[in-house]
Amino acid sequence: MKKLQDIVLFGYGSFGRQLYKNLRSRGHNVKVVVGMDDYVESESDTAVDITHINIKRNDDILALNINAAESIFYCAMNKTANNLFLVLTLKSLYPEANVIANSNSNETTRKLKYAGATSVIDLYEATSRRIVNVLTKPAVSMALDEIVYKQNDLKMLELELQENTFLEGKYVSEIQFRQMGIILIAIIDKELGYELVFTDHRINHKLDAGDILVIVAKKKDINKFQEMLVSKSSV
Amino acid sequence: MKQTKHKLLSFAYLLQGSKRYNNIKNFVYDLIENDDYPYKKYFDFFMIFVILSSVTLLVMDVKQHIPVWLDNFDLYFVTTVFVVEYLLRMWVYSDIHKIIIDEYEESSYFDKRVSLLSLFSKIAKDKWAYMSSFAAIIDLIAILPSYRGLRVLRVFVLFRAFKMLRYTKSLTGFLYVLKNKKFELMTLLTLSTFFIFIAGIMLYVFEGDNDNPNIHNLFDAFYWALITISTVGYGDIAPITPEGRIVTMLIIFTGIGLISFVTSIIVSSFNERLGVLREDRVVQEVGKKKKLTVICGYGLLGRLVVRGLEKEGVEFVIIDSSEEMAALAYNDGYHAICADATKGGIFEKLGIADRISHVLCLTSDDIQNAFIAVNVKSLNEKVHVAARCSDHEIATKMECAHVDQVIMPEEVAGMMGAVYAGEPVAFEVLLSIIEEKEKTQINEIAIAEGSFLDNKAIGEVDFERLRLILLGVFKRSEGAKLGEFIFNPSDEFVLNAGDNLVCIGYSSAVANLKRKM
Repeated sequence: MKKLQDIVLFGYGSFGRQLYKNLRSRGHNVKVVVGMDDYVESESDTAVDITHINIKRNDDILALNINAAESIFYCAMNKTANNLFLVLTLKSLYPEANVIANSNSNETTRKLKYAGATSVIDLYEATSRRIVNVLTKPAVSMALDEIVYKQNDLKMLELELQENTFLEGKYVSEIQFRQMGIILIAIIDKELGYELVFTDHRINHKLDAGDILVIVAKKKDINKFQEMLVSKSSV
Repeated sequence: MKQTKHKLLSFAYLLQGSKRYNNIKNFVYDLIENDDYPYKKYFDFFMIFVILSSVTLLVMDVKQHIPVWLDNFDLYFVTTVFVVEYLLRMWVYSDIHKIIIDEYEESSYFDKRVSLLSLFSKIAKDKWAYMSSFAAIIDLIAILPSYRGLRVLRVFVLFRAFKMLRYTKSLTGFLYVLKNKKFELMTLLTLSTFFIFIAGIMLYVFEGDNDNPNIHNLFDAFYWALITISTVGYGDIAPITPEGRIVTMLIIFTGIGLISFVTSIIVSSFNERLGVLREDRVVQEVGKKKKLTVICGYGLLGRLVVRGLEKEGVEFVIIDSSEEMAALAYNDGYHAICADATKGGIFEKLGIADRISHVLCLTSDDIQNAFIAVNVKSLNEKVHVAARCSDHEIATKMECAHVDQVIMPEEVAGMMGAVYAGEPVAFEVLLSIIEEKEKTQINEIAIAEGSFLDNKAIGEVDFERLRLILLGVFKRSEGAKLGEFIFNPSDEFVLNAGDNLVCIGYSSAVANLKRKM
C-alpha cells in the first residue's frame, strides 16, 4: 500500500472546503492554514483544525514545521494575487515542493505555472466541459459522473509496477486486462521517456518495473489485480 | 326580426367554432401583422415592390405618357392590392362574431332583448377604431390617387411612399425615436416658431416700409426668418439696414443653438434605443433556430461554456443583466442581449414555449441563478435547466424547484484536486480527458440501426483495430433518457441499435467509427 502524503491546504473558502472534504475522504492528513484576515465560516459538523498565519511572512510558514518532501501544498486562497504570492513563497522556501494551485482562467493558470506551481486546477474549466457535455454528449457526461464524480464502486487510479510482477517483460497486447475487469487507459512507459501515452492501441508497450499504469476498474477487481501483482512479486 | 337575430347568432357561433375560418384568419394576421412570422417578409417585399412600381409610374407620367397597359396595371392591379390589403387589415383587427356573442350572452344574462341597432353601432365603433388609426388613414389616402377624375389627388402618391414605413422595421424605429422625444421636440418647435415670429415681425418693422425691395409683406419676412434660423440662408432676401442685420445676427446664433439641440436630442434618443434595436435584431436572428440554448451570465464560467458550445456547433444566445458584459459578448461575435433573466419577458420573446431547449444559469450569484431557474421552470417545465451554485443548501432548494442539473464548480474542482494528492498521473489523464486539450478524447458513439455494430457481440468487434478503448455502454432505454451504464461489458454482450458506446481514442478514430455508422 502506498503511503499517503500529508497535505497542507492554504485557504478555506468554498473551494478549500470541498478540497478538504475530498482529501479527508481519501484518508489524507490535512493541515488547514488561512491568512490572518481571512474569514472562516464555522464548520459545526467537522472539527477542522485551522491555523492562522501571516502569509507574507516566511517565518510564519517555516514555523508550521512542514516536511516539504513528504507533503503536497494546495494553494486555494480566494484571491488570485494571494495564491500567486503563496506559490512564489513556497517555491522560494522549498524549491522541490509539490505545489498545486487553483485558478479561475487561462491567464491566471499561465502566471501560476510560471511562478512554479507543479499543477494548476482551473475552477471553471472542468465544470464548463461538464455543462457542455450534458448538452452535446450526454453519454460521456454520465460515464464521467460514474467514474469520476460519483462516490461509487468505479475508480480511476494509477499503479506503479514493482520489480518481478507477472506483467514484467510482457507486451500490453498479451495481457487480457478486460477479462480481469480492468480497462487500461494510459501508461507512462519508462522506455519511451516519461511522457504519458494513452493506450489506444497505436503502440504496443512492453511493461517493465517502474512503468505507471492508469486504469479504470471496480474496487473488487482492483484489489484482485493488486493481489495478483503482489503474489507474483513475492514468488 | 327575431329570425334575423337568431341567424346572426348562429352564424357567429359557426365562425367561433370553425377551425378553418380561425386558421385562415390567423394566417392572414401573421402574414400582415406578425413580425415574428417567417413568411411576413415576403409579403412586405411584395408590398414594397407594388408601392415602388406605382410611385415610379406616377412620376414617369408627369413628363411622358406611359403605355396604356402600365396605366391599367396601376389603376386596377395596384389599387386592388391596396384595397384588399386595407380590407384584410380591417378584418383581422377584431372579431365581429365575438362582439355578437358577447352582446347576446350579456343580454341573456340580464334577460334583455338584443337591439340590432346597438349591436351594429358596437361593431361600427370597433372597426372605426381601426379606420381612424394613423396607419389606416395613410392606407386609405394611398388608394385615392387611383381616381383619375381629380388630378390634384395625384399628390397623394406620396402617401404610397409613406406606406413603406409599415414594411421596414428600421424606419418604424426612427419614427419611434421621434415619438419618444415628442415633448422635447415639441418644446423646440414652439421655441423656434416663437423666434421666427418675433424675428419676422422685427425685420418687417425695420425694412418692410420699402427700404428692402425684396420684402413685400409679412410672409416674406417670416420666410426670411425661417431660412436664416435654419442656417440654410438662400440669400434671396437679405437685410439692408443695420437694425435688420442685428436681428439677423441674433437669430443666426439662436438657429445654431436650436439645430445642435435637435441633433443632440435625436442622437441621445437613438442611443437609448440602441439596446432595444439590438435586442430586436438578436431575437429576430435566433428566431430562425429550431433549438436554442440560453446562457444567463457571461462571466468566467459563462465564457468557457460558450466557447465549448460554439465548438460543438450548438445554437445559443447569451443574456446578461450587465450592459458591459452583454456588450463584451456581442463584441466577441455572439448573439447577446442585455436583459433581466429573472423576468419572463425576454424568455417569451426568445420562444420559451417551443424554441428554447436548455437554459444555463451561470451567474456568480447563487440566489440570482435560483431566481432565473424558477422563472424558466414556471414558464415551461419541459425546458432543461442547469444552474450553477456554490452552496449545498442552495443546491437542495434548486432541486426542490425541479432544476434538472445543479453544478458546483468548487465541488467538481475539489474532487479533481483531491485525485492529484494520491495519483498525479491519473490526475493528468483525467485533466486531459475532461478538458479535451489533447487529441485523445472521451466520446460517445450511438449505434445506428442496420450498421455493422448492430446486433454484434462485443467480442466480435475489433476495438484494437478501430484504435479505441471501450469504457462502457449505455443500453437503449424507453424515452429520451439514457439507460444503465454497463462498464467494461463482457465479450458476450450484444450491441443493439440505439445503444451508446463510450470510448477513449484519437478524435480521428472516433470520427472514423462515426462515419462507418
